[in-house]
Amino acid sequence: MTHLLPKTLPSLVLGIFLLLLIWALPGTVVAQGLQIVTTTSTLGMLAREIGGDAVQVRVLAPPDRDPHYLDARPSFMAALRRADLLVEMGADLEEGWLPVVQTSAGNPRILNGREGHFKASSHLQLRRSITMDGPNLGHVHAEGNPHFHVDPLRIAAVAMPLAAHMGTLAPQQESAFMARAEQIAMRIRSHAAELREQVSVGRLLMTYHEDLDYLEEWLPVALVGHLEPLPGIPPSARHLRTLVTELAELRPGVVIHAEYQPARGARFLQQELGWEAKSVRMEPPADARLEDYLDLMQHWVDALK
Amino acid sequence: MQKKRSFKLAPLAGAVGLVFAGAQVSTANELDLDISLIIDAVYFNTLSTGNESPAGFSSGHHHHGHSHDHGHGHSHGFDEGFNMGHSEISIEGTLGGALKGVLMLGFNDKEVEVEEAYLQTLGLPNGLQLKAGKFLSGIGYINSQHGHDWDFVDRPLLNEYLFGDHGLQETGIQATWLAPTDTYTLFGLELLQGETSGVANYIGSQGDGRILKDVSGPRLVTGFVKFAPDLGDANAAQFGLSGGYARSYQNTREHSLRNEDWDGTAWFAGVDGVFKHDAGRSYGHGDWRLQGEYFYRAQDVDRRDVAFEGSAVSNVQSFTNKQDGLYIQGVYGIAPRWEAGLRAEALGFTNKVGRGDGKTEDTSYRYSAQLTFRPMEPVFLRAQLSSIDFADDDHSHGNGLEFMLQLNVALGAHGAHRF
Repeated sequence: MTHLLPKTLPSLVLGIFLLLLIWALPGTVVAQGLQIVTTTSTLGMLAREIGGDAVQVRVLAPPDRDPHYLDARPSFMAALRRADLLVEMGADLEEGWLPVVQTSAGNPRILNGREGHFKASSHLQLRRSITMDGPNLGHVHAEGNPHFHVDPLRIAAVAMPLAAHMGTLAPQQESAFMARAEQIAMRIRSHAAELREQVSVGRLLMTYHEDLDYLEEWLPVALVGHLEPLPGIPPSARHLRTLVTELAELRPGVVIHAEYQPARGARFLQQELGWEAKSVRMEPPADARLEDYLDLMQHWVDALK
Repeated sequence: MQKKRSFKLAPLAGAVGLVFAGAQVSTANELDLDISLIIDAVYFNTLSTGNESPAGFSSGHHHHGHSHDHGHGHSHGFDEGFNMGHSEISIEGTLGGALKGVLMLGFNDKEVEVEEAYLQTLGLPNGLQLKAGKFLSGIGYINSQHGHDWDFVDRPLLNEYLFGDHGLQETGIQATWLAPTDTYTLFGLELLQGETSGVANYIGSQGDGRILKDVSGPRLVTGFVKFAPDLGDANAAQFGLSGGYARSYQNTREHSLRNEDWDGTAWFAGVDGVFKHDAGRSYGHGDWRLQGEYFYRAQDVDRRDVAFEGSAVSNVQSFTNKQDGLYIQGVYGIAPRWEAGLRAEALGFTNKVGRGDGKTEDTSYRYSAQLTFRPMEPVFLRAQLSSIDFADDDHSHGNGLEFMLQLNVALGAHGAHRF
């Protein structure tokens, strides 16, 4: 027995490795414009409307799935590999999967704090999250409630700083970005003002998770609680019975939940107390334009009527 | 998915002190570290006893001179009754966004072991990343996962018997390159010291007359390619191809009057695949995933026996051991927060052992079923039943049945899992 492959072996393998690299390179597509990756489709809508033809937008989280619980998929890493800008909600909404995607993408530009990273929550005052006071269970959102895409006024407020950030990456487009962002913010705000008139003042609201709470921020509804005992902890039958006892003294309102959340608890309140149970879409389509987000606002308001 | 919090080290000085007995933490206030603790407990019960080791893989051959021999010969080394399972403490920090450092300690009630301790670059451009230190090799699929992420209580047979008790866990460097393609394509290359019992067992020179000699590291080189097509919102898949070559594979065994030494090389190659379906319902209901791996290993050695007294040489031969293994497993979300899974494993479809006149051993099998309940995200309770059909050296099969109950809790900043 002789050692046919002595110490030169590492360099041999390195050579094969380099050959593989060269083989893979022709698959590279030349990118057109600013490559933007957003975690959610609401952020995708903003980037697309602000950027116009100067950008290409890819949304990672499917709009019909809970953004808390995604896998760190390889396809997400491939998308971030060549991205110029990553736009995330922040406040730990994407904490379960985005950090590993960022650090596995081999693209230092989109790491936290770098020029290609934009965190929407940093530009906003968030609602307090129950988890900031509660026991260390379920989700923990120390920076506040991360589901602010349900509040159009906050989404409108993100448009300008996002446009300014995009402008630093494409300086010749900056004024166009800023002008469009201003238009978008105005459209959203005026639509919110119109919709506000369609909801009866003081309508009581229960939500499943602490996500649709943000409806209270721009509509004249009053949030009375959540079906989950703590965010991320599913309600037990006993917890639901306790809720029924507590809510029995109030006039019936509406209990709404995201389409990916279980309907059982809402149906129980409907049967026991005559509350209306509604399931809603949480995000516009992945390729959404501004109109799709305005439609989604209408969809939420319809559920509250 | 997982809650995550950044902890200042100072309040946790006590906990860290447990690990670094006597370590200085006075300047720790400036360090931002993520700390997580995974506590794992396993109740183990043998319902019926079969053959202890799969034929051709008996631990006597592979574990000599290796410090990780858990002494049971048994696949996972659990005692009857209550056991500490794969408990871990991990500490992670970054250095200015340029480097990430990870320390992962595995422990049970008797010992603490460094499972991983490495630095990884974050700041290199063009898809390149380097990792240096002790880490779980990127070959295959399950090899780089920790026990907390497994779908079954125990490690697949092929990972344990073709590589080692901790899979392929080595000290060295790893370079990966993510191609700038629309389809995820990752190339990896590792230069490793070469200490893993199944593919790179190393003993070093044993003195006069013996064939074992010192071989400087790195003695093991591995490479892998991972490919993951984008299958849309509901589905995801990843396929891998990997292999390695050890320029030193050594083994020794003490007989009554002589030492038997093996000295040579080893290589391995394998394929792996995983497919995941996300049903888009709450708490994993309706989700399913399939994964499988196949690995082949060859040990190409010279054998020479040397008597204790007088250094007389006998049994000079050269031979090759050729062995392989396979597993395939599927897990389905039968209800919100409930999962059930099945795993089928085979070890030694090819099972040629060249020692002496040479021998072809039978194939060993194991079949496992599990049921997992996650009352809340960081906690799971798992019951597993394994039917063990290991071949014996004399071609007889013995059927064993094992029951395991696992409780696993993740505390602290347990970060995201890799795909």
